[in-house]
Amino acid sequence: MPANPAALGIDVGSTTVKLIAVDRNGVILWHHLKTAEPRVEPQVDNFFEMVSKKFGDVSDIPLVATGYGRKLVRQAARQITEITCHARGVYQQLGHGGTLVDIGGQDSKVIIINSSGQVEDFTMNDKCAAGTGRFLESTAGRLHVDVDQMGTVALAAQEEAPISSTCTVFAESEIISKIANGIAVETILKGLHRSLISRIVAMIRSLGLIPPLMLSGGVVKNPAIRSMLSEETGESVILPELPQLMGAYGAALMAL
Amino acid sequence: MNIASHIKYFVNVQVGARSYIRLKRRQGARKPRIPLNWNTKCLAPPLKIDGLTKELIALHYLSGRYADGRKSVAWVTSGAPVEILQALGYYVLYPENHAAVCGVKRKVVEIAGEAENAGYSRDICSYARTDIGAMLSGKSAVGQLPKPDLLLACTNICQTVLHWYRVLAHHFDIPLITIDTPFIYTESSDADIKYVKRQLEDSIPVAEQACSRRLKYKKLQDVLKMSKDASELWLQIMQRGRHRPAPISAFDQFIQMAPIVEMRGKSATVDFYAALLREVDERIEKGIGAVVHERKRLLWDNLPIWYRLRYLAEYLGERGIAVVASTYTNAWGELAPFMDENRPIESMAKTYIHPILNRSTGSKLETMKKMSEDFHLNGVILHSDRSCKPYSIGQIDQRNKLIREYGIPALLLEADHNDPRSFSEEQTASRLDAFVEMLEN
Amino acid sequence: MKIPQRKHIIKEFKGQGGKVAAVLPIHYPRALFRAFSILPVEVWGPPGIDSSYGGTHLQAYICSIVHNALSFLKTGGLDEADFILIPHTCDSLQGLGSVLIDFVRPPQQVLTLYLPRSKGKTDYEFLANEIRRIYNRLSEITGLHPDDTAIFKAIKIEENADRTLAELYSKRQMFTLDNLDFYRLIRTREFLPAEHFIDMAQSVLSLLNEEKLNGVPIILSGIVPEPMEVMSALNEMGACVVADDLACCGRRLYQSGSSTDPFQRLSENIFSAAPDPTRGDSLQDRIDYLKGLVNKSKAKGVIFYDVKFCEPELFDLPDLRKALKGEGVPSLTLEVDINDPISNQMLTRIETFMEVIK
Repeated sequence: MPANPAALGIDVGSTTVKLIAVDRNGVILWHHLKTAEPRVEPQVDNFFEMVSKKFGDVSDIPLVATGYGRKLVRQAARQITEITCHARGVYQQLGHGGTLVDIGGQDSKVIIINSSGQVEDFTMNDKCAAGTGRFLESTAGRLHVDVDQMGTVALAAQEEAPISSTCTVFAESEIISKIANGIAVETILKGLHRSLISRIVAMIRSLGLIPPLMLSGGVVKNPAIRSMLSEETGESVILPELPQLMGAYGAALMAL
Repeated sequence: MNIASHIKYFVNVQVGARSYIRLKRRQGARKPRIPLNWNTKCLAPPLKIDGLTKELIALHYLSGRYADGRKSVAWVTSGAPVEILQALGYYVLYPENHAAVCGVKRKVVEIAGEAENAGYSRDICSYARTDIGAMLSGKSAVGQLPKPDLLLACTNICQTVLHWYRVLAHHFDIPLITIDTPFIYTESSDADIKYVKRQLEDSIPVAEQACSRRLKYKKLQDVLKMSKDASELWLQIMQRGRHRPAPISAFDQFIQMAPIVEMRGKSATVDFYAALLREVDERIEKGIGAVVHERKRLLWDNLPIWYRLRYLAEYLGERGIAVVASTYTNAWGELAPFMDENRPIESMAKTYIHPILNRSTGSKLETMKKMSEDFHLNGVILHSDRSCKPYSIGQIDQRNKLIREYGIPALLLEADHNDPRSFSEEQTASRLDAFVEMLEN
Repeated sequence: MKIPQRKHIIKEFKGQGGKVAAVLPIHYPRALFRAFSILPVEVWGPPGIDSSYGGTHLQAYICSIVHNALSFLKTGGLDEADFILIPHTCDSLQGLGSVLIDFVRPPQQVLTLYLPRSKGKTDYEFLANEIRRIYNRLSEITGLHPDDTAIFKAIKIEENADRTLAELYSKRQMFTLDNLDFYRLIRTREFLPAEHFIDMAQSVLSLLNEEKLNGVPIILSGIVPEPMEVMSALNEMGACVVADDLACCGRRLYQSGSSTDPFQRLSENIFSAAPDPTRGDSLQDRIDYLKGLVNKSKAKGVIFYDVKFCEPELFDLPDLRKALKGEGVPSLTLEVDINDPISNQMLTRIETFMEVIK
């Protein structure tokens, strides 16, 4: 049987659930990620079954829960917000503070991490789809482009069709109108990415960018996001390894 | 005030710019330039005076660039009793007008964005966001704005200006004069007018100190007389809209009102409106209508949609619909009768308490009804301006009463006067379509 | 601690032959109404009602306090009121007053009160005069003419109640009342007759502990702490609201005046409260006041808890936050619609903030 974990972190997000086990030095021993199921408790129980199979009885191992569904994890000793956990996880991974951008399915956050890995300031766009991954997904859907291909298609565009609507619903009608006028799909897609990035950059500017600029969350797989974010801020964008797991990782570190 | 600034101003503005602009205007007058994609099938060509309007405004902003060190500068609200400052020789700037110019030139998203990045919410007035963004970043659609030595805010247009100007006062660390005009829910009382009068009197020493000059009573009278004359001419110009076809549209008025707002009290402004009146009368003689085949006539309520003026003029013009009057432009003319240069402070108090925005929602409805009758109108477009609560609150009832009690078709159009992000072209087009159908029936 | 219900208080007061005035935010001369045997009952929303009726007269970009007040009126919530007083606080309340008078035309007598936006001699005299105008109107309607002695009697009681309120605040950290209970107590000032409030407050003051209240000290700033659930949420997160800059509460700690003319005295009272953007105070005044509040209460952070669309608050926010940051005091801004329950997103923000300041 492998070495016992010293701490566990679980991130119950709206799109995915992640569990990480670390040793007492904060090294990741094991991780697991699955699409979020509608009922949180049974899925969390399932995760614990899996981790128990791997390491034996884990009921004494300190656990911190984070993410949207953190309050439903009864096994957790503590619940800490994903902002604090992401910051901690990224800091441990990369070894420095800076400005962390996390664009999730349901919200996006910009977090200023200080040189000790603590959250110094933060801002969230959690009221409106237009600043989140959901915006791209739903509007790309309109264009019949695969979610996984969106970024590549957008980057290939030579031109960009500016989307002026701030609201996802209005943006859809703008897109329909542009398609009807014969504007190419990749051109529109690039404009949509620009829309999202502009909102993120506005959030960064409202806090004041402290380099380096880091990106985490599911959306890192989209090459256009990274490229355009870098373009607009003039900063290179660093990605931690395992960007989707930073919340759970930070939670595990907080449990140590 | 130093010699170097005076020389710079003289050379750059009085000699250089003036000559250049005048040359351009004369060239323009010789061969009237119709913009490339002007829809001449449905709209009359631009007013000939347009060149002069641009000249006046350009010179006004240009002289502002060279104002530092030369003149005292005041930033004031559009409804403010500016005559005292004009009489004291201040260079007067209207942040609202500057913001509108940014709106017309499609620079608001960028400039207001600077304010939003600094933490100012998107829910505050788009004029204020544009202005605060310009102040914080130095960005502008007209070149550099001169820093103010004094601020003057009058609440007769809204309470927002107070909050806005206090931010400016804090940033510039300069005195702010507020002229608080009690809102007229039913009628204005003597106590209300007396209050405004006393505030005007109290403001004089503050304004004097900020520019190190004494106010000359005679100068104030002259300035007020010119304000009155220009306002009366403007009123006459708008009244010409009663003709069928209307010689100029509300969209023309939105542009041509700039001098009465920004340069009220100057003799050049009086001359300007006299010239415009002549051109309007010329059009009437020749039977020229702002809309070529005028079939229906409308009233526009609330502020313009600065970034879509041409779109709206053409959309409606193509359907033979002319917007011939607006409660907004009317506001600068209807108060002319109150002004009396023989009793300057007292008449200013009466004048500045009565703009339409300081009057009840019922009074606004009465104004709309009266204008609909006077101008033989077929309907009203009420622009529900997200940024302008004092103008917009009450419109739902006003619209309902216009339709149900007075039988006047009315459309409530949601948008924002300066922020294109709060405007949906698709939604606007479909609502206008439906309204046009209502008018036809 | 038992908080009396509004409807019982109203019933009791009317049962004794008194009348009721529904009063909208923020400042008004309480004592004047009491001198006419009219109980002022404040309407801050109320929250959590069906606000769709407001939408038949008001656009979506008007704040939920104003929407709710109109909806409440239209659904009979203000039926017990004989008067509706609308102070001229902001553009939205200006519009509400006008719409009520011109279009809605409720059965209650609608009164408006213009509040000056500066604090000089001219403004102070205008307000005294404006209050006298309300007196004349009330006389006309009720047929009563309370003399100076009667008005002063009411003034003294209100000033006493305000002093008692100030005492509650100054001794906040010596009560073991949690956030929700403390604010429910404070907010009884919105409807409880002043003499009742004094009794109630005195009984709470007699329960003072020597122990200091636990919890991470924070300050709340904004218009009104609705939804009040936020207080429970703060309890759970281990936060203690040790002071506030809320228009409904701490910003209305009126001080006793000195004038022997009742209208001037009432004018003095209104002018004496904490800096308020709706009443004519500069940004620097607000910054100084907020800094002072932080220092005095030893708060670790400030939560700006604002109703969405509130321009008087929104314009001042960036400079207030900047000034606090300069003093090393973190702040958080939250925007609410008083009809919405507190969202998970909002709770997460508050939690993160607590994690930052701890």
